[in-house]
Amino acid sequence: MNLPTLTSADFFPMLPAIIMVVGACILLLSEVFLSAHSSRGYQAVLTAITAVIAGVVALKMVFEPAREVFLGFGALDPFSSFLTFVVCVALALATLTSAGFLRKRGAERGEFYALMLFATAGMSLLAISNELITLFVNLEVLSISTYALTSFLRRGTRPSEAGFKYFILGAFSSAVLLYGAALLYGATGTTHLTGMVLPLANAVRTNPALVYTGALLVAAGFAFKVAAVPFHMWTPDVYEGAPTPVTALMSAGVKAAAFAALVRVFVTVGPGLDPQLPLTLFSTLALLTMVAGNLLAIPQRNVKRMLAYSSIAHAGYLLLGVAALFATAPGEAFSLLGSTSLGTTATPQAVARAEALRGILFYLLAYTVTAVGAFGVVSVLERREDEERGTAWDLERFSGLAQRRPGWAFAMAAFMLSLAGIPPTVGFLGKLLIFRSAVDAGLIGLTIIAVLSSAAGVYYYLRVVVYMYMRPVPEGAHALERNWMTEFALVVSTVAVVVLGIAPGPVTEWLVQAGHLLGR
Amino acid sequence: MVPISYYLILAAALFCLGMFGVLIRRNALVVFMCVELMLNAANLTFLAFAKQNGDFTGHVSAFFVIAVAAAEASIGLAIVIAVFRSRGSINIEDMRTMKY
Repeated sequence: MNLPTLTSADFFPMLPAIIMVVGACILLLSEVFLSAHSSRGYQAVLTAITAVIAGVVALKMVFEPAREVFLGFGALDPFSSFLTFVVCVALALATLTSAGFLRKRGAERGEFYALMLFATAGMSLLAISNELITLFVNLEVLSISTYALTSFLRRGTRPSEAGFKYFILGAFSSAVLLYGAALLYGATGTTHLTGMVLPLANAVRTNPALVYTGALLVAAGFAFKVAAVPFHMWTPDVYEGAPTPVTALMSAGVKAAAFAALVRVFVTVGPGLDPQLPLTLFSTLALLTMVAGNLLAIPQRNVKRMLAYSSIAHAGYLLLGVAALFATAPGEAFSLLGSTSLGTTATPQAVARAEALRGILFYLLAYTVTAVGAFGVVSVLERREDEERGTAWDLERFSGLAQRRPGWAFAMAAFMLSLAGIPPTVGFLGKLLIFRSAVDAGLIGLTIIAVLSSAAGVYYYLRVVVYMYMRPVPEGAHALERNWMTEFALVVSTVAVVVLGIAPGPVTEWLVQAGHLLGR
Repeated sequence: MVPISYYLILAAALFCLGMFGVLIRRNALVVFMCVELMLNAANLTFLAFAKQNGDFTGHVSAFFVIAVAAAEASIGLAIVIAVFRSRGSINIEDMRTMKY
């Protein structure tokens, strides 16, 4: 029996995930020695430190040359390393906001942080997966952890209901994705994404029904995970019912990881398919998602639910970038791999594709710091007592916040402006990059709709700002408790939103690197 | 020997059965079983293609899927129990705390 030889270089790309799993195991083991009343303040700090270490390691790996590892089951490229960095940022910020949130509810336990670390390890591994079964297993690692996190708080009806909805629709979408993967395996005889390209080109001719059904089912599975319309029905309920820090991690981290897998699958097997198929598919999804997400968010008075619909709308802008990845000139062969070596002969579409990939990555980073911060403010304003009545996240909670806590109000205003895409915030630059690449790729009509729908979005984002700055403090407003860890996370997010919006300097350098998908 | 297409048709039928079950049935446990049915339909497809190609990947995949399905079952049943404890019913129609 011949065993494959794996060297330490094969395990290197897993380093951030290994760090997070080790951190999670330490937390789980230390929980054994604690009594119910022991102080657990160290747990959030330990988790955040683990996330920061993993993030720094991932950032170092952005400058590694791209290569296949684990016999082609994984791919180490700047794209995956940058995404690992993004999910580590999401984890660190979400953890810091969860300490105060859980303590107020008497639910601070090591398992919570361990599950968050496991979920993020799954996201990081999902970003490097280069084979369909590896991808499925990692998708499940992150999903199963988030199902448990969603229903972590056991008092009240909301968390278990949200957990159940998330579980059923998540498992449903995973099964759809798996069935699509099985059909693609049948058409090509392999599950390796890179090995699939050539057989796929043959199979499209001999058995198009099998290939297209498989590809569509895989796309539908991903559309569920990124909450694209018409596969978005679970999002508002799950985001509302889940503990707010978990919602932050879901909206930023899970979405980033799902986009990473989606981009990798379709970009890698793209040359085997007709690029028109993914272009049409993702353009349609982008159109529906942007318009429906923004329109449904407008009537929401529940800020947490409004942010859930806003996260759907942002998935739409990202899908616009994904659609731009597949724009080809007539007769041009589709390729995005090794997009760095754009020679002088590169067509405008090829340049637009490389730009779109960078735009997607920057947008994911921008959305992560903004959304996690916004959910952080929501989490400090809510009270458990109001949850059952459903008023914990009402716009009224924000009335007069600028007089009571000017710092929080300023942070929330920065996040809202960033989500709306108003300069000088990071959200504006993200939108600019994505829309520019979409225009270069020739998706002009779609970009106009994107701009118009994001203009509609300004209404419901600015309404929060109006409530904070122009409404009086309501009678009998409950006291606002401060928590240094949450405030630290808010400061970090605000600084990131504003500074990256004015001077994205270092990030653009990483992005130029991260625009390199695995070259062959 | 049974032709491969028979297995594939059976798998597709199971998959559709599971999918409609998830969409139509109102009992949380039945919905959960339908999801398992869909995963096993995918397994059967993997195995049928693996047998056709004389390739091991499909067999290995099925084992991974079984392991994942077991993990999913443990979390899923835990959530169903949490739902039952919080409202004394596992009918999906009753889960409407959150409104639009």
